[in-house]
Amino acid sequence: MNARNETVNAERALPARPGEPLDEAAEPTTVELIDAYLRDHPGGGERLIPLLHRAQEHLGYLPFPVIRLIAGRLGLSPVQVFGVVSFYHFFTTVPRGRYQLKVCMGTACFVRHAGAVVEAIHDTIGIGVGEVTADRLFSLEQVRCLGACGLAPAMMINSDVHGHLNRTRVRKLLQGLRAQAKKADAVGADHE
Amino acid sequence: MSETLPATTLDRGALAALRLRLAAPLRARAGEADAPQAPRELLVCAGGACISCHSVAVADALETAVAASRLAGQVRVVRVGCMGLCEAGPLVVVSPDGVYYQKVDGDGARRIVEQHLVGGQVVRELELAAEVPGGERLTGRRVPFFAQQVKIALRNCGVIEPTSLAEYVARDGYLALERVLFELDADAVIDAMKRSGLRGRGGAGFPTGMKWQFVREAPGDEKFIVCNGDEGDPGAFMDRSLLEGDPHSIIEGMAIAGRVVGARQGFVYVRAEYPLAIERLGQALAAARAAGLLGRHILGSGFDFDIEIRIGAGAFVCGEETALLRSIEGKRGTPQPRPPFPAQQGLWGKPTLINNVETWAGVSPIILRGAAWFAAIGTARSKGTKVFALAGAIRNTGLVEVPMGISLRTIVEEIGGGIPGGRAFKAAQSGGPSGGCVPAAAADVPIDYESLQELGSIMGSGGLIILDDRTCMVELARFFVEFLVEESCGKCPPCRIGTRVMLNLLEKITKGEAGPADLDTLESLGRHIQRTSLCGLGQTAPNAVLSTLRHFRTEYDAHVGEGRCPAGQCKALLTYTIAAEPCSGCALCAKACPSGAITGEIKHVHTINQDLCIHCGACLSVCPTDAVQAV
Ligand SMILES: Cc1cc2nc3c(=O)[nH]c(=O)nc-3n(C[C@H](O)[C@H](O)[C@H](O)COP(=O)(O)O)c2cc1C
Repeated sequence: MNARNETVNAERALPARPGEPLDEAAEPTTVELIDAYLRDHPGGGERLIPLLHRAQEHLGYLPFPVIRLIAGRLGLSPVQVFGVVSFYHFFTTVPRGRYQLKVCMGTACFVRHAGAVVEAIHDTIGIGVGEVTADRLFSLEQVRCLGACGLAPAMMINSDVHGHLNRTRVRKLLQGLRAQAKKADAVGADHE
Repeated sequence: MSETLPATTLDRGALAALRLRLAAPLRARAGEADAPQAPRELLVCAGGACISCHSVAVADALETAVAASRLAGQVRVVRVGCMGLCEAGPLVVVSPDGVYYQKVDGDGARRIVEQHLVGGQVVRELELAAEVPGGERLTGRRVPFFAQQVKIALRNCGVIEPTSLAEYVARDGYLALERVLFELDADAVIDAMKRSGLRGRGGAGFPTGMKWQFVREAPGDEKFIVCNGDEGDPGAFMDRSLLEGDPHSIIEGMAIAGRVVGARQGFVYVRAEYPLAIERLGQALAAARAAGLLGRHILGSGFDFDIEIRIGAGAFVCGEETALLRSIEGKRGTPQPRPPFPAQQGLWGKPTLINNVETWAGVSPIILRGAAWFAAIGTARSKGTKVFALAGAIRNTGLVEVPMGISLRTIVEEIGGGIPGGRAFKAAQSGGPSGGCVPAAAADVPIDYESLQELGSIMGSGGLIILDDRTCMVELARFFVEFLVEESCGKCPPCRIGTRVMLNLLEKITKGEAGPADLDTLESLGRHIQRTSLCGLGQTAPNAVLSTLRHFRTEYDAHVGEGRCPAGQCKALLTYTIAAEPCSGCALCAKACPSGAITGEIKHVHTINQDLCIHCGACLSVCPTDAVQAV
């Protein structure tokens, strides 16, 4: 499924792997999260997708040790679990940015030139679809339809929908977020 | 009228008392009856689109303003589900007056409270109004957008507080379930569903009563009920609005079916992109369980039924029923050959009844008001109403429920308010990626399952994208095929490879590199994919191409024969020039041009060297004065 993105993701995932040795164990908090879910929800393999949702919500992505851990707990092979992870667009094996940009590519947005939004993002922060900025501040994805057709063209940044976008608004939005992150980090550093 | 229910379970007497007490004011709120004595309320649309336009802050501002006025404590702010007119959001309604306010912000909220509620004067500048031919100014529910609609599935959306069980009950909620538990036998219910003529709203239009009967008759003591809330079609948001705006109607429909076919467990499969729908459905489920309307021994009837939510993970093909069931089982969502149909062997091999969200929402009204009432609406073979998500090049983007058989022209010109920007109505795309395009020339055909199919499209789940003369039909077909290439699960070669080859051909055409033979290849390949694919995704994948080839052949010919894109959208086929008049000589275009084709001095008109131009369109997109022209 989604063969092109998958290849891109796989290529991106590979260089990350050396820092993530196959025999490395999942974090204790993740293990606890997964075991708590399994305790509360007795059952079998149908718990796989809800469990992956849980883990990704917690970690932001699904690193290999977690995939292997889940496989072990459910009595599946890691390949079976990886097959499910790679099948569904929602799951990712690479970390995403602090601000996750999801540009809507639904028909209404397409008709109202969502392509220009992707171009504007690229021009402003230099990343294309499926990529993350080097500082991990932004990541960019295309999504199918946010159901916000009245606001077309629209994009979601984390869980907020921004509509009626054009080049200028996109540039201002992203610059605003960058400034906001800088400020937040400066405040955070002060407190340490 | 804020209702908090006791934490104990409800019996039939308590439900009846609730209806008696709250029904009249809620009817007034819905505009179904005059009730001048109904309490003053401010309804704020808390549907997805309005929330994105900050309607939550508007609701807060209204509450603050009311609290600060002499009406403190007398006017309640109610956060209701989607009212449908997303374009005008955030919407606020003063009830029971029926005055609609559009695009309300914090300042508007204060004016509504001070000027309208306290001062008794409608705020004209914010009022939703439409001028109709003849110069009459229509307001409120009389604007054509609302006046032409018939609400059955959406009966409670925009009227009740979505998760309030009391308000749902007061709208005759769970009354149909009571009837099915205590008065009607299962065959009578199935008979009513059949006579109503209700057909599945998820796309295929299969007769609902017949499907229920198959599952009822399927042998097995364990059966399942499933609600398909995957809503993968881009441009569709009916199911989302229903789940967000009236979740109890889905729960009730599923419980009724559970009783009728003999199932005790249901699942609602909702896509992960709809967190608000998941949240509200979860709250509604918890409330129904606490009240004893789900769980064991419902209302003392001895019938046990419960529902779980399953969250999708972003795969379009999981809307297909066999794929969806596999996904619930925790597997890759690849479709399976049918037969066996889910009615025979579904979830974990057990008989499974799967219907779409909107189908479920239509169940209770049919049982309460009768099959004949429902069947009197619509056309010979398509009964009742259909919810459409209206979007694209249209003034009134939003959600509309209309009787089957309405014409596209009525939807576009009257309900939709026409095409903005003085552009011409070119076509309507229905049915999402599986659908096709209906040209403006066919706008007077009554819309139903059959007529759309004859036009080479499908009803689909109800996404209706309106296109104006700036949409290139070849590029649109390419967009949908690209979508399907990405979403094909890869299991069967006609779909996996065929859609890829179609995409290559379409890309060739939009780049002006194709010859006339390519159009024939495209057409025959499309027919081949239709015939040989495993599931509905592949079988319908060529529709976008075939329907545009059928209705807009001249546009394809212009790309292929003349290297010209009549809509001016295919970048590679356009000639870019800079008009002297608006050009400010800012040199942004020259900077953006990757091939050095643009020259000129600062503050003087720039020019494009056509021999160097690579048709990338970069100049067009950066020009701040719209001086770059592409034809
Ligand atoms: C590729 C594909 C995608 C589909 N997506 C949906 C969907 O998002 N929602 C839906 O209700 N039905 C969808 N369907 C239709 C379902 O397979 C099935 O017909 C429907 O859930 C049955 O419910 P109904 O009879 O109430 O329409 C899809 C079918 C195909 C082939």
